[in-house]
Amino acid sequence: MDFETHRQESQPPKPVSLFKSPCLQEAKSIFNSIVKSSNVPNDFRFHNSLLQSYASVSTINDSIAFLRHMTKTHPSFTPDKSTYHILLTQSCKSTDTTLSQIHQTLNLMVSDGVSPDKVTVDLAVRSLCSAGRMDEAVELIKELSSKHCSPDIYTFNFLVKHLCKCLTLSTLYSFIIEMRSKFGVKPDLVTFTILIDNVCNAKNLRETLSLMSVLDEEGFKLDCYAYNTIMKGYCKMGRGNEAIEVYNKMKEAGVEPDLITYNTLIYGLSKSGRVMEAKKLLRVMAEKGHFPDEVTYTSLMNGLCRKGEILSAIALLEEMEAIGCSPNSCTYNTLLHGLCKSRLFDKAMELYGEMKSGCLKLEMASYATFVRALCRAGRIADAYEVFDYAVESKSLTDVAAYSTLESTLKWFKKAKEQGLKIGEHI
Amino acid sequence: MLPQRMKKAVTDNPKKLANLIDLVNLPSTLRDFIGQSQTSRLSCFMRVWSYIKTNNLQDPNNKNVVNCDEKLKGILLGKPQVDLAELPELIKLHFPKEPK
Repeated sequence: MDFETHRQESQPPKPVSLFKSPCLQEAKSIFNSIVKSSNVPNDFRFHNSLLQSYASVSTINDSIAFLRHMTKTHPSFTPDKSTYHILLTQSCKSTDTTLSQIHQTLNLMVSDGVSPDKVTVDLAVRSLCSAGRMDEAVELIKELSSKHCSPDIYTFNFLVKHLCKCLTLSTLYSFIIEMRSKFGVKPDLVTFTILIDNVCNAKNLRETLSLMSVLDEEGFKLDCYAYNTIMKGYCKMGRGNEAIEVYNKMKEAGVEPDLITYNTLIYGLSKSGRVMEAKKLLRVMAEKGHFPDEVTYTSLMNGLCRKGEILSAIALLEEMEAIGCSPNSCTYNTLLHGLCKSRLFDKAMELYGEMKSGCLKLEMASYATFVRALCRAGRIADAYEVFDYAVESKSLTDVAAYSTLESTLKWFKKAKEQGLKIGEHI
Repeated sequence: MLPQRMKKAVTDNPKKLANLIDLVNLPSTLRDFIGQSQTSRLSCFMRVWSYIKTNNLQDPNNKNVVNCDEKLKGILLGKPQVDLAELPELIKLHFPKEPK
């Protein structure tokens, strides 16, 4: 929280760009007039910011020409590494699918006697990744490693994290192996945590296990993050027992569990129908000085709703509000879902009213259940009203909201024909 | 209960999605009501539903029923009263399936 606000405060206001047109001639004359009119500080930072400003509106070729112009008309200015980094970042942003512009910048840099270093590699990889150019990032990192400088582990992990999203496992692994054998970039615990997270998200248990055994062979000592990630994986796959095993292992290894550990475990246990055990963990947490937050409570409510103990879930809502922990939209959606499943429509309507007054969004699952429950109770007009809210509050796209409503009404009509008495189940 | 799978079906199925959001040339009755010559089934539904709301056509005693005015009757098979539950279906009648 503190960190967030701090970061927002320290962010400088967006600078007013000096250069508004990409025209090189205009930029040159602006520069000339600046040089003539005032005492230009003999500071490379001043020139760099001019270059940065022009680069944000122009093409890479014009930026290079502008740099040349600056060094010519103002010979006391000598570009340094960061000057070239400005150009490099710009060339990474282009939509070109080849590396030619980046090569152009790098060549310029080298011919001016500045050799690329780890920072160069990092900047290039990050800007390529944020422009979605993963293939080029891979190509460039290999090229830079063989010619100039291998990446540090932070750059490498950043790239691996992005590659997880778009490469197949085997290609990703061969990239990691290649980087290690050719350039000596050794994957560390963070790399493995990223990989495990990736396979866990894909619910690939076999790969998770094999990665864990590799971790073991390499002699890594797992930290809290690694344990949490593995535990999250098991919880997602609905394997409560294994999650508890990881928790026990963690304690044996002397790694102190944090709030995330407990939240993950409570989520996993609730999900696999062991909500009583999950509830016991609340006390353990408190003993260790971790206070349950909205995630903890929502997971517990989810577990209770799964067991049909909706009233205990509602009681938990009161308990959580009493200790000053405010529920979020996920909490409300969980409860709404549970109330509809237990056919407590009046309470569901009441909760829905609270959600509306708090401008909270509906999630697909709870929306669908709610609409279905309302139709089943014969309250079609209310179902339409919920549909309106879902669209107005931008909780769902109108296509998703409408198709749910339509198919529910269709089902409702069919059910009525088959003899279901509407309104009887209230 | 509705099977879990049906919830996703429509938005995942490109054909059904197209059926919902593709612009269609409207028959003359609907053209007069909407005031456009082309629209999609989804926006047509939204238009009719907001027409019902702005003109307070829902029956005050039973909100599930719409008392059609002359304009609405013209596009909903001339029925004096329409159940909200059958509204999507009635609108769908104006959007016949394209012959294959």
